[in-house]
Amino acid sequence: MADDQSLLEVEDLTTTFSTDNGTLTAVDGVDFSVDTGETVCIVGESGSGKTVATESVTKIIKTPPGQIEGTVRYKGRDLLSLPESELRQVRGNEIAHIFQNPQEAMNHCYTVGWQITEALQIHQDVSDDEARAKAVDLLDRVGIANASARFDDYPHEFSGGQKQRVMIAMALVGDPDLLIADEPTTALDVTVQAQILRLLDDLQDEFDMGILFVTHDLGVVAEIADRIVVMYAGKVMERGDVLDIFDHPGHPYTQQLLECLPEFGATGGGIPGTLPDPHDPPDGCRFAPRCEYAEEACRTGEQPAEIEVALDQHVSCVHYGPGGNPSIVRSEGLGPGDESGSVGGDSEVGPADD
Amino acid sequence: MATEESERFDQVDWNDLSRSGRFDLSINSLGMLLTTLPLALLGVYDWQFTGRRTPTFEFIGLDRGLETIDFFFIFTLLLAFWYLVVPLYQNPRMTRYYWKEFKRNRPAVVSLGWLAIVFVGGLFGPLIMDPPQQELLIAYQPPVFTSVVDTTPATCVGEVVSGQCQGTWQHPLGTTQGGKDVFTMIVYGMTISMQIAFITTTIVAVIGVTFGTLSAYAGGWVDEVMMRFVDIILSFPTFLMFLLILYIYGGGLGMFIVVFSLFAWGGMARYVRSKSLSISEEEFIKASRISGASTYQVIRGHVVPNAASSIITNLTLLIPGFLLFEAQLAFLGIGDSAVPSWGQLISAGRSDLSFAPWIVLAPGIVLFLTILAFNFLGDALLDALNPEAEAENA
Amino acid sequence: MGFGRYLSARVLWAGVVSLIIVTVTFLMLAAAPNPAVRQAATQAALQGGDPAAAAERARELRGLNEPLHVRYFDFIQSVYTLDWGWSVSRSQPVMEAVTQALYYTAQYSIPWTILTIILGPLVGVYSAANMYSWKDHAATGFAFFGYAIPNFFFGIILLLVFGVWLEWIPITYNTGVPVFSVENAIQLAIPVFVLVTGSIGAVMRVSRNESAEFQNADFMKTAKAKGVSPLRAYAYHVMRPTLVPLSTTLVGQLLALFLGASLLVEVVFAIPGLGRLTYEALIAQDTNLVLGTTLFFTFVAVIGNLIEDLVFTVLDPRISYDDR
Repeated sequence: MADDQSLLEVEDLTTTFSTDNGTLTAVDGVDFSVDTGETVCIVGESGSGKTVATESVTKIIKTPPGQIEGTVRYKGRDLLSLPESELRQVRGNEIAHIFQNPQEAMNHCYTVGWQITEALQIHQDVSDDEARAKAVDLLDRVGIANASARFDDYPHEFSGGQKQRVMIAMALVGDPDLLIADEPTTALDVTVQAQILRLLDDLQDEFDMGILFVTHDLGVVAEIADRIVVMYAGKVMERGDVLDIFDHPGHPYTQQLLECLPEFGATGGGIPGTLPDPHDPPDGCRFAPRCEYAEEACRTGEQPAEIEVALDQHVSCVHYGPGGNPSIVRSEGLGPGDESGSVGGDSEVGPADD
Repeated sequence: MATEESERFDQVDWNDLSRSGRFDLSINSLGMLLTTLPLALLGVYDWQFTGRRTPTFEFIGLDRGLETIDFFFIFTLLLAFWYLVVPLYQNPRMTRYYWKEFKRNRPAVVSLGWLAIVFVGGLFGPLIMDPPQQELLIAYQPPVFTSVVDTTPATCVGEVVSGQCQGTWQHPLGTTQGGKDVFTMIVYGMTISMQIAFITTTIVAVIGVTFGTLSAYAGGWVDEVMMRFVDIILSFPTFLMFLLILYIYGGGLGMFIVVFSLFAWGGMARYVRSKSLSISEEEFIKASRISGASTYQVIRGHVVPNAASSIITNLTLLIPGFLLFEAQLAFLGIGDSAVPSWGQLISAGRSDLSFAPWIVLAPGIVLFLTILAFNFLGDALLDALNPEAEAENA
Repeated sequence: MGFGRYLSARVLWAGVVSLIIVTVTFLMLAAAPNPAVRQAATQAALQGGDPAAAAERARELRGLNEPLHVRYFDFIQSVYTLDWGWSVSRSQPVMEAVTQALYYTAQYSIPWTILTIILGPLVGVYSAANMYSWKDHAATGFAFFGYAIPNFFFGIILLLVFGVWLEWIPITYNTGVPVFSVENAIQLAIPVFVLVTGSIGAVMRVSRNESAEFQNADFMKTAKAKGVSPLRAYAYHVMRPTLVPLSTTLVGQLLALFLGASLLVEVVFAIPGLGRLTYEALIAQDTNLVLGTTLFFTFVAVIGNLIEDLVFTVLDPRISYDDR
């Protein structure tokens, strides 16, 4: 895992959309990286820009209206500056995607076999028979029973979990080094969810892939992540090792997210307030309007620069910066840490009734 | 998207309207009743007491007659007024919302303007303009601002400049081979087009809505049989049937309208049925059922109001077809050539096309514009009714 | 229910529908005064004979004295045995007249249908891919123009401009030229253009609106993520699902035009096809021929609807045959 060069390095990624109501900034200067064999989770509420961030990596969002800036280095190559034709060689071959809703993500007019072999034959010059054999093999590998017969079935003949397995098989045809999974288990029920996660875990070892995993479900994060990136309103609030962050969440937003987990004695209701208007984000820290520790300094200027609060744990919060006082935030924190905060103590956040 | 639902007028406001209808007559029905009564009396008077050839209004010294078709036309106009225009006025909030949505579609606004001209022209034109008179002496006058070789018209009404007869404002669109003023004929044709539009759509709406809701609420084999019947209606080669029926039985305007309506309601019935079925699945219908509403009340109070906007849109999109059918049949010489429709005018002018093209062009373009306007209008209504459709693309 | 049973059920139903339409046609004609009988009576009256007796003789001659149900069964039998009787006005069997006319109708119908089927979806999807650009607006404008302009009027105007004023095309249709010749192509170009303009609009609009939905679908994102090129994505992933809703519009549109506008276009351009045959049969009061052409169009309509249903079912894999 410890190459001196990450598999994927994303720096200052900014994705905007021009809409009728002006420019919408979905992702605003985001940094993260994924190493081979590692699972990185992007966490955040719906609408925080996680999906757009991952889809910007291989530019599969529509441009225009979308516009992507920054650098995305994959094995040293800057993907964003690659011409479209070369980028197509990367998509589905070296970097594969699976999506949230397998039902919608497959074309209902073609058999699953057709859709898998399409992905294969675009990138490799293989005969129909070879393609079929490989597809059946993959279907078998992802746990579709009786794969050679089901090759000719249409998506609607599969259950939700099976569809996601098919999507995974489709993603694996090019033997990718990076798998981007955008909430792949959200639309599935809990038992199926666990099976899919286990499957991904097995496949990660087998194919030696890096996985960039988007979710809003911290339970899933706890299960699979090596490192996490917490996003809020298009900005990274905090990133670092999953254990560090779960133990010592630095950013107030991360703390509140964790409080929503039942294991941490959630009282339900989530975080009060709503995401800011992406057309007109607030000054200063994006989270300030909903943050109980917000001070005057939080509401002016730009999003605070990331501070390394512990080894490889970066937090974007005024209170950690120069002149800030981390204990304001930390003392109320959840983790046992070095402070005397009580685990699962009374939540500071009342249930929101809006 | 879903939050916009409550903004939709056809779900909110119509319910009040129908609720009052359960106990006493709404202001709309009352108005309808009060205005239909004199019309009905006049109709009975015309039918029973005046001679066949005596104009209806002779008793007040007016030399204007009302045909049966005119009575139906006025009746449908009253219907449209009390159940379409008045509700718009009664619910200014939704009218404003609707207008705002509609206004964004500029071709549709222009179309509405054009249709308003045709409507007003058709309604009042014949009242203020004398019917076109045959005057062979002034046959083939060119339209204003144009000129033809002096030998084309029998006598030139306008000036003759170097052997060219100039058009005049007296006959802005020229005259026909019989010397009839084309502009006047087009205005009279507006009446015919509006009569076809209003009466046919009313009949289609009544049959379609009744059939569709009955089928949906009967369910079981009755539903099956009724829908199979609709299948058959829709399988008829319509235009050919028009030809056959109108040819065999002869066709005045009334016959045209009846035949058009009889073959056109299938799609409407099918649509209303599926709409009724999907609406009756919705929670608020279940709620009103539980609270003891009768089937009739559910249909009257929920199904029709909910489907109203779509029904109106569908009807709008049916009208151009009717106008086209009439013109085509008239062009083929089937139907009463005394009916001054645009189609008849095109048909009459065809033989003179090479030297007097305005006789065909003027009504043809008016017909084209009217059909175009109805299509644009229908399209805009579709968009205005489905804010979701646009939101998806954003 | 398998496809086989579905198919046979549909075909059976198409048979029932055509039988009903044929019956209605029969009853309509039976209820109308027969022009031949009336003619015989008038003839007799003019020549000082007994009109009633002459009418009676004429009725007997045509078997109109038989009870209604006997006539009905005879009629049905002859309809389905393709023995459609003798055309008085053309002095040939009805079947022969119809076949001859079909030869001319096919000459413009086939290119027209092919052009509509190919160009309509292509332009529609192209329009959707460039939605709200000037290309889209131009295509939409053309579509609206196409279905708003009455075909016969458009035909007359084009004939006036290109035939009379510019003299590029012959004004009268020449049946003497070979089917595959430049002359034939020239004289059919305008009728085909008029019909394509009329039918392509609706096809374009439906393909545009339906494919607009599909080009933003999640599976398009999947395709892009797989590395599929935009062209391939449109050709396979957008076009294919668009064909499902389109199939219903396409057949319906072509049929409606075939049964209506083609008659007008044939009259305008003096093409001796089926439409004109029908029209002339009506004018000549040739009952057998009127019935024959009506039946032909009825069969076309019924078979068209049948094809539409089958194509729709075949195209959408999600439809199970039990649902319909």
